[in-house]
Amino acid sequence: MTAPRITSRTGPRSRRAVVGGLLGSALLVGALTGCSADWSEGGDVTLNFWTWSLKGGDERAEAIIDAYEKANPGVTIKLSEVGGTADTSSKLLAADRANEVPDVVQVEYRALPSLVVAGVVKDITEGVGPVKDAFADNIWDLTTLNGEVYGLPQDIGPMMLTYRADRFAELGVAVPTTWEEYATAAEQIRAADPTAYIASFAPTEFAFFASQAAQAGASWWESDGEEWTVGVDDDESIAVANYWQDLVDRDLVKVEPLLTPEWNAQVNDGKILSWAAASWAPSVIYAVAPDTAGAWQGAPLPQWSAGDPAVPFLGGSTYLIPEKSKHAEEATKFASWLAGSDEGAKLLLGLDLYPGATAGREATKSAAPPLLMPEQTDFYELTDQIISDSTIPLTWGPNVNVAQTALGDALQQAALDGTPFADAFATAQQAIIDDLAKSGYTVAK
Amino acid sequence: MSLTPTATAPRGPAAAPSATPTAHSRRRKRRSTRAPWFFLAPAMVFFIAFMVIPIVYAIYLSFRGQRVESGGAFGRRVETFIGFENYVAALTDAEFLAGLGRALTYGAIAVPSVLGLALLFSLLLDTPRARFTAFSRTAIFIPYAVPGVIASLLWGFLYLPSTSPISSIARSLGQDSLDFFSYPVLYFSLANIALWSGVGFNMIIIYTSLRAIPTEIYEAARIDGASELQIALRIKVPLVAPALVLTSLFSVIGTLQLYSEPATLRPMTSTISSTWVPLMKIYQDAFMNDNLGAAAAASVVLALGILGFSLAVLTFFNRRTFGGRS
Repeated sequence: MTAPRITSRTGPRSRRAVVGGLLGSALLVGALTGCSADWSEGGDVTLNFWTWSLKGGDERAEAIIDAYEKANPGVTIKLSEVGGTADTSSKLLAADRANEVPDVVQVEYRALPSLVVAGVVKDITEGVGPVKDAFADNIWDLTTLNGEVYGLPQDIGPMMLTYRADRFAELGVAVPTTWEEYATAAEQIRAADPTAYIASFAPTEFAFFASQAAQAGASWWESDGEEWTVGVDDDESIAVANYWQDLVDRDLVKVEPLLTPEWNAQVNDGKILSWAAASWAPSVIYAVAPDTAGAWQGAPLPQWSAGDPAVPFLGGSTYLIPEKSKHAEEATKFASWLAGSDEGAKLLLGLDLYPGATAGREATKSAAPPLLMPEQTDFYELTDQIISDSTIPLTWGPNVNVAQTALGDALQQAALDGTPFADAFATAQQAIIDDLAKSGYTVAK
Repeated sequence: MSLTPTATAPRGPAAAPSATPTAHSRRRKRRSTRAPWFFLAPAMVFFIAFMVIPIVYAIYLSFRGQRVESGGAFGRRVETFIGFENYVAALTDAEFLAGLGRALTYGAIAVPSVLGLALLFSLLLDTPRARFTAFSRTAIFIPYAVPGVIASLLWGFLYLPSTSPISSIARSLGQDSLDFFSYPVLYFSLANIALWSGVGFNMIIIYTSLRAIPTEIYEAARIDGASELQIALRIKVPLVAPALVLTSLFSVIGTLQLYSEPATLRPMTSTISSTWVPLMKIYQDAFMNDNLGAAAAASVVLALGILGFSLAVLTFFNRRTFGGRS
């Protein structure tokens, strides 16, 4: 009665399946044998541009592309947003192995060396001679490795503290100018409002720790051209570890990654009152908490020793040309225009970026302050001063990607288990050295 | 009796086992050796293109690594043969083993609760007095249609103190926000996502197998005076044991391949590391650290482990549950 009656149906069904299968395999064979055609027609060039700063659909970005295409007939720019630095790097590596690379790629400065040693980035020293003078030396150096130029600086990140001016005033807390004052301010904030924190401690903010350690005098990677010296566990870096350890132990900062829904909610609610980062922070905060605009202000980053304003840059990004790009010449020309020309740099400023080129820097002087702090009219005077103070060169090694996860995971674990942060820095140091040695680099003992 | 002649009648010669059987069967054999290949061809092409070649390539990659040969501090890394280095690294990697331990801890919570609930629901749906079975079945199954990443995001927002309604209620009652991401609660939070999305799928498998049980058995049991509970426990559960074995095997394999839930929740909390489970470690190596060789070696190790485990489980249950011999 309930006997399966499937057998009676197998005939026609399996025949159809076979036909479908054959058709499928025929298609597959077609797909496997068909090679990728190059569609570029004589003279006309399409440049694939991977960027997160210029978003397709954003009028300001479209205007930039239109301006360039009008001035350079035959060139078409295609924008793709493939994610942030980490995603872009991994996709670029995959694209390189598949021989299907874009022509211009935006990454943060720290990702450049690992991509260069992977053989993915073109040496453009020859092609960029004319635009070199458009940049200040401390900015141009961000994309120079061993005397070879691998990118054009798009924007830079002068380090600063972005804080809730209204809440600081309400709680009677002075804006800290040194890290010691920052700890005191953190204490005062916790005392005045137990639901608020001066900031969150995000264990995965690798670039920030590297910059803060550099501010203290550390150098996480250093080379004489042959040999690497790794300094993640040198005295200055350990001082940074101990500094944050103390704040976390006393519950003066909240252990919480940045830009999570939780962090965003706390920022909106006025429970997280500052973010020590760079001049790009206001636009990031504005994106997640537009209602708090007007309540924020920018200030120079707190210092390790009072009166020493020297800082490195934090974040900011560069345009690189992939080694396998078929239109490297046109791509270099476009990237040079966007990053280095007066027109391009001013257009970049319109995207709320701090342009790397001097012309953009000049343009900021007559620009309105960021949307997050419309009343702080001296914002760009402040950043201009910080850029002059950004005299600490920061060398990123060939394995920043490995270092980033090693330190992030170790610090997270330490924060979780209550073990010393200094040990986490030592773990990261060892991981970086081991990885360099495994890859075949010479590491100084 | 009356069926036999009609069935054999058209096959005249076959009915008489004499004459020239050898020549006939040889011709038939030759024809039959070609036909299976023809029918198998499409499947084989796909199998070779999407299984065999990628596996062989992965094994090839597992013996390769990016190494610097010259060029000083910024020397280019080039892919070279490095022998078993990647395997040694994978097998001696404490983090890989720790990740395996975390996945199994999660599995120890998730698998029994998912299967227990799935069995319970399917038994309930199968009782004669159950109403709205079609609706209930669909309602329980629907979460399975939600992709794992989206399910994790949904639950992530329900877990985060600032967005969680549960924490909001707790706060209005004067309690602290609940921390769903702290240890060991994290394992339960993750298992809960699996529970939400996995129960429906497993329920359907068990339910289907329940419907295949001939109803005569129940009638016999009822005549013998068995209650519905006794029928469920003494008849239904033993008879769906093969389905239970199958679903547990799938669930355990799923546990070892745990990835999307922790990877999706990771940006929301600092308690999940980038190498929290084996697959996250493999992803990290392959795409963040540009170390495809290490990722391939770890994948091979993991795949072999899962294969060995599955075979062991199936051999064990083949004898006990399926009544077969292997």
